[in-house]
Amino acid sequence: MSCEGYRDKLIDGLASGESLLDGDVAGHLRTCAECKRFYEAQVHLFGAIDSGVRVMVNEEVPMSLLPRVRRLVAENGAPRRSWNFGWGFAAVAAAAVVVMSVGLLRRSPETTGRVAGRGPAVSQGREESARVAPVLPLTAAAAPKHHAMEAKRVTVPEDGESRPQVIVLAEERAAFARFVTDLPEEKDVAVALTRRASDGKDEAVETALLKIDELDVKPLESSNQ
Amino acid sequence: MRELVLIQPGRVLVGPSERESESCHAHREFEERLAECGSLAFRVAYGVLRHAADAEDVAQEALLKAYRNFERLREPTRFRGWLVRIAFRMALDRWRSVKRREKREAPGEQPEPRTAGPSVEELATSSEFQARLERAMEELPEKFRLVVLLAGIQGYTLAEVSGMLGIPMGTVKSRLFLARKKLAEKLR
Repeated sequence: MSCEGYRDKLIDGLASGESLLDGDVAGHLRTCAECKRFYEAQVHLFGAIDSGVRVMVNEEVPMSLLPRVRRLVAENGAPRRSWNFGWGFAAVAAAAVVVMSVGLLRRSPETTGRVAGRGPAVSQGREESARVAPVLPLTAAAAPKHHAMEAKRVTVPEDGESRPQVIVLAEERAAFARFVTDLPEEKDVAVALTRRASDGKDEAVETALLKIDELDVKPLESSNQ
Repeated sequence: MRELVLIQPGRVLVGPSERESESCHAHREFEERLAECGSLAFRVAYGVLRHAADAEDVAQEALLKAYRNFERLREPTRFRGWLVRIAFRMALDRWRSVKRREKREAPGEQPEPRTAGPSVEELATSSEFQARLERAMEELPEKFRLVVLLAGIQGYTLAEVSGMLGIPMGTVKSRLFLARKKLAEKLR
């Protein structure tokens, strides 16, 4: 092997932090004064690099850093709750499904014509029957001629059994439940489904209820699966 | 009267006290990590910026950013690595903006051409060596640079660097090897 080859080997050994020389290389260094000088210079160079890097990163940490961060953390309040794209997507999908379902039911003349002659129907969430809260009668207000959205006051019972409810497709239930759980912390998300009750006490919350005149609301097919 | 049966989500109302206790818990957890990792964030930033006040600002911003997003972190054991990456990226951004500003302010200034330099031995002992090392570090690829900085911090073994960055030990070693070789080439 030429001197050049030995020198490459030397550099590789030093760069990898190995302190012991390969037997072959060590033998060459004993016989080649020039390579020995090169080796000593490289040992010096790598040593200087290591100590230079240590100087670079082991600067004393200013005493003021942690108190500054603590003060800012205190000013910032609680850390943000998790909210990722998945939840956002689930929320948007759930809202879109609700809006589209309502829109289709309202606009379809076939549906309107069909339901006109029928009596009221009550949908049943069979799978969820054990967990579903007692039915909340929505409104007893006089039915206007046209479809209308009407705001009503709904009281959240103290026993915690009955809670504000929304229609959600079966496949969207888990995602929607998670979305609602995270909702109170997401102040920048506009939501029309419900509104957060004021903190500290249970009191009546206002929620927009959908009242559709002469409309037969049936369970969505997918919610029975 | 029309009636609707509606599906009730599992946990609609989260009480204020529950939320507060969750926040307090997260706050406590963060506080525990702050003391341990604050210096690490500073040192990584200082390794890039070489300016104590700037490094302190960056470390502060990185810690604050980490705090704001603390609950997004699914594995709290990864906090150190996460913070290191935040601090490193922020320090690089700051360093680039400082360089841009310097360039704008002194457009005509060219770096001095290198003449036949001193020997390796002379270089290693000279005060100029540190400045050249810093420049050589700046030219390293970012992933090499981070490994060199972390491996240089006192008290951190290569195994810890590997755990911190979430990369295999072999990768840490090979990055360090290539980085040291490149640095030596530039400084030779």
